[in-house]
Amino acid sequence: MDDYLIGVLTNIGLFSFLALSAYLLLIAGEMSFGQQAFFGVGAYSGGVLTTIYGLPLPLAALGAMLLGALAAFLVGLPTLRLRGLYFAMATLAAAEMARILFELLRFQREIDGEVVGPDGTQGFRGIRWVFERGVEPEAYLALVWGLLVVALGVFLLVERSRLGATLRAIGEDPELARSCGIGVERFKLGVAAAAGALAALGGVLFAHHNTYIEPRNFDIMLGVHSLAYALIGGLGTAFGPLLGVLVDIGVLEGSRVFQGYRMIAFGGLVALLLVFRPRGILDETMVRWIRRRLA
Amino acid sequence: MDKTALGVVLLLVSFQVFAQRAQGELACKPTRTDFIYDCTIRLQRGGQPLADVQITVGADMPSMPMAHNVRPVKAKPGKAPGEYQAMLDLEMLGEWAVKLRLGGPVKDQLVLLYEFDEKGARPVRRGDRPPRK
Repeated sequence: MDDYLIGVLTNIGLFSFLALSAYLLLIAGEMSFGQQAFFGVGAYSGGVLTTIYGLPLPLAALGAMLLGALAAFLVGLPTLRLRGLYFAMATLAAAEMARILFELLRFQREIDGEVVGPDGTQGFRGIRWVFERGVEPEAYLALVWGLLVVALGVFLLVERSRLGATLRAIGEDPELARSCGIGVERFKLGVAAAAGALAALGGVLFAHHNTYIEPRNFDIMLGVHSLAYALIGGLGTAFGPLLGVLVDIGVLEGSRVFQGYRMIAFGGLVALLLVFRPRGILDETMVRWIRRRLA
Repeated sequence: MDKTALGVVLLLVSFQVFAQRAQGELACKPTRTDFIYDCTIRLQRGGQPLADVQITVGADMPSMPMAHNVRPVKAKPGKAPGEYQAMLDLEMLGEWAVKLRLGGPVKDQLVLLYEFDEKGARPVRRGDRPPRK
């Protein structure tokens, strides 16, 4: 496979974790502009665990996911008391605080004659676990997509379960859900933690793919895009966010037709969809229609 | 005895050089086509030029990671040892993280931060510290 195609597909896969993370909160009725913070927590903690503590990538990914979930839970405790725009603004503020913390983070050690670890605004170089083990780009692409398929599988199972129905009930009418005896607040905290873990998994994979990360990687642009991908793709199914990423990175960027003007095309597409299909291309109605056709 | 000591010293020095990471720097000139740069890559390890390395050059924007997929290009050997040439086709001006994937005798990946503008490219400085190679 050509290097360019491998790069595009890997980026689509990596971005999809973040888009799925935003989607999970969206179907629970909350719009977060801060999922990039947990992506960053995953990237930094995963990088530290493999480069400084010498952990294998699977263990580092697990540790990073736990930290991502914990960070999201702690952010969710105060912010989930807010609603709508206020929640969105609070998550954005929390993510900016996290980015500034990454700028202040200095934790370096000398490993094999090389100083490695986060170095504030200078970034974090030498995250070479994957590279040093001779994992070829094709194999890494397979790893990213393999994990994404597992995540999508879990989503599809949850969506068809009682848990999924509860999640959508909370998203559509939290008051009604509360009156049915659902612990809305506790449920949303759990969703926030799960979304944080998913974003962190994407972050670990991103850091080991790139070998270099810096605080600027995790600024608001990343959060806005992940949210936009979920909204473009649709909130009817977990395939929605993936479709959103495919539309932007696969079609708009990959085709190079909009070179230099891609962001304008992307912004226009978001505006059009919000007017004509506010719940995205694969919204609930479309998903029902597809299921009927397939049946 | 002296020969043995000299041998040990040489071995240690060569090991030290071998153990050091490859370092790289870029010198890029704009071409007549917008956003296309003619770049010279200089590679060294332990102060010695690194020749016969296969380099694949890619780039990503730190402020919008994963969103710009610059087509990776293979660098060609340049005029001097440790020098390589590559044409970089970027999408826009601004700060880019140029990724050098090294193959052949050296396997490594270097990420160089450069600010690209109409005049060429210069290393990004963060705070009061010199740019890292």
